[in-house]
Amino acid sequence: MSPRGLLVAALLVVGVGVALASCVGVLVMRDAYDRLHYTAPATTIAPLAIAAAIVLEESFSAAGIKALLVAVVLLVTNPVLTHATARAARIRELGEWTVQEGEQVKGERP
Amino acid sequence: MNEWLVAALALLVGLVPCGVVCLRGDPVNRLVGLEMAGAVDTLVLLLLAQAYGRAIYFDLALALALLSFAGGMVFARFLERWI
Repeated sequence: MSPRGLLVAALLVVGVGVALASCVGVLVMRDAYDRLHYTAPATTIAPLAIAAAIVLEESFSAAGIKALLVAVVLLVTNPVLTHATARAARIRELGEWTVQEGEQVKGERP
Repeated sequence: MNEWLVAALALLVGLVPCGVVCLRGDPVNRLVGLEMAGAVDTLVLLLLAQAYGRAIYFDLALALALLSFAGGMVFARFLERWI
């Protein structure tokens, strides 16, 4: 096996392993806030590792560029989604909140 | 059967915990499971496109990445008040 093939296999193992581990993390955590943390590794490390493996295999052909594009899209959109979901969870739990000037935010989680 | 196909099959196992999360708990927890499943599905499509060696299949992964983001945002917006 060539050094490049070994590197591709290692990147694939890293990507798939991280994604599987974060799936298990989503399953075992208690509430939605804890679960949201585990979507982060699956949308940063895993797509970058897999896209890097594809680029190593194909160089910058149409396939490689599109794989990188998918990784970048996941990387950019997931923080927005995580923020929106956490905000929705908090509003459901504690109601809408507005902060007046100089006022502390009420409703800390128990 | 090349290494890309093996990786895609291994990653498909990760959909099982996401499905279990989607079936239990309150709507926000289920939404998190759905978002996670969307991310894992995107990666599976990426690996399958490379396994079959057709550059056009990568567009599927790109479309799923964009649409699962849009779907997650719509669900989060609705969960803030109405559901």
